[in-house]
Amino acid sequence: MTDLLALIVQQSVNGVYLGCLYVMVALGLTLIYGVLNQINFAHADFVTVGAFAALFTATRLGTKVLGLPDTAAYLLSMVAALGAGALLGLAINAAVFAPLRDRGDELRPLIATIGVSVLLENFQLWLFGPIPYQFDSPFSRETIRIGRIFFSAQSVLVVAVSAMAIAALYAFMKFTFLGKALRAVAQDRETAGLMGINPNLLIALTIVIASALAGVGGALLGPVLVLTPFAGASVIVKAFAIVIIGGFGNMQGTIIAGLLVGIIEAFTVQYLGSGLIDLVVFVLLLVMLVVRPTGLIAERKEENV
Amino acid sequence: MKSRLVAVPIAILVIAALPWLLQTPYWRGILVLCAMNVLLALSLNLVLGYTGQLNLGQSAFFAIGAYVSTILVRTYGWNFWAASLAAVAAAGLLGLALAAFAVRLRGHYLAIASLGFAVITYQVLINWEKMTEGVRGIYGILPPVASTTGLFYLVAGIALAVYVLIDNLVRSPVGDTLRAIREDEVSAASLGVNAALWKAFAFGLGAAIAGLAGCFYPGFVGTLVPDAFNIIESFTMMAMVIVGGMGTMIGPVIGAIVLTFLPELLRGFGEFRLMIYGLALMLVVLFMPGGIVQAWRTLARSR
Repeated sequence: MTDLLALIVQQSVNGVYLGCLYVMVALGLTLIYGVLNQINFAHADFVTVGAFAALFTATRLGTKVLGLPDTAAYLLSMVAALGAGALLGLAINAAVFAPLRDRGDELRPLIATIGVSVLLENFQLWLFGPIPYQFDSPFSRETIRIGRIFFSAQSVLVVAVSAMAIAALYAFMKFTFLGKALRAVAQDRETAGLMGINPNLLIALTIVIASALAGVGGALLGPVLVLTPFAGASVIVKAFAIVIIGGFGNMQGTIIAGLLVGIIEAFTVQYLGSGLIDLVVFVLLLVMLVVRPTGLIAERKEENV
Repeated sequence: MKSRLVAVPIAILVIAALPWLLQTPYWRGILVLCAMNVLLALSLNLVLGYTGQLNLGQSAFFAIGAYVSTILVRTYGWNFWAASLAAVAAAGLLGLALAAFAVRLRGHYLAIASLGFAVITYQVLINWEKMTEGVRGIYGILPPVASTTGLFYLVAGIALAVYVLIDNLVRSPVGDTLRAIREDEVSAASLGVNAALWKAFAFGLGAAIAGLAGCFYPGFVGTLVPDAFNIIESFTMMAMVIVGGMGTMIGPVIGAIVLTFLPELLRGFGEFRLMIYGLALMLVVLFMPGGIVQAWRTLARSR
């Protein structure tokens, strides 16, 4: 293998790993947008809460209290993060989305979730303080080598967990009755209601699933982030860009865009420097909006463009 | 009409009296900040409230005003007022650039595009170190007027002038045009309104006003770092407009005053301060959807 080829493969591998992390965060945003046409700005903080829940489960509960080996404790921490995210999803639906839903307003729920975001960030600041936490995954220590390509066991785990989450989500949407009902609600809430589907329940379910994904995303991102109460904010702007590039509310588009942004980020770090990542991603976003405002995979949604 | 003729002298009196009511340098500083926030809220309200364009990127224009004016004065030795004029023009032009996106995008798409616009501006400020000093920041910036009270009179006077300007604008046929675009762009276009042109007008003017506010910020704080123009700043402006009452003239002014003084008054609550701020923002949206102005009107009518 030539040096250049090895470099390209190596960065692509890094990019896919990063992309999977972004997909976990962006999928939740796109799911909520799909059924509710709303943006949840507090999604970023669900990621942070997930990361902290995972950190304390892995370092305190798992290893100290339950006496698990650290690898098992980290796996358990993902479950804790999932639970924390799901709970936050329930809470934000009850407090913001459900009461504001039928006013047909796109701005106010957005502002209310910004309020939730400020509240959550400062609550965590009070609990955890501003100093970044060290969150080491036991899987980061193992390095796997194939030819001249290196990657950590952690990145394999991240890709595996994301792939499992995406597969489970697809299976749920395609093959279960609830998934079908959910797609019906996304397509036309009122007609779905007439068919005997309870839209309130399904919207709540979607938000819970989306938030649980954010929680798990937090557990996976924890070891990568500078883990402070404001950590999620660094990921969320990129997740918004991904959701738009993929086409708002479109799951396949989001997944492809997430991986694409991950790969672009890896190559930007290699060739331009890490300071320019956000710049490159958002210039791509604006170009995308001009050239193809419906996203990578076009859908109906013409009212927005 | 009559009440408006009375309102301006009263506003002038209140502005003149405020520094005498708040004697400490600290509170006089907050007054300057408040006047700047009023300007910013007015600028965003023109785009968001009257034209109905979901703009999350207003902090970018505030930043352009601050950086262009400061760099022209420090690096190129311009006079403050000439530099400010150039900075306002630069911000206005950038507003037109964002309007180019607004012509094609609506709702949440525009929201994220404008957010992207703010992120790009922020990143350029960080990365273009030759010009902006990056994260190190620019230090020792002098205000155009030495005394805090003088600076307050200057910014508050400008805010009042801008208020009167926008007030007259939205009462004119131009205001009707902007509102028509807000309510239904397609029907407005069918009546012969050039929506693209008027959106560009609103974005450009709104951006220029935010840029004007930006000219006074660096001298007031004395330093200039990119973090002052984080996207959170856009959210704060939006919160002011919403809390006060979007699409009314006085609403954003009230919102700016409340949201400047509220965090200061909550200082006694220490760490809980911003938690209360976030909670208050959420509750206002839930229980006073039209902001303080509408809640007041409802209350007055029910009496």
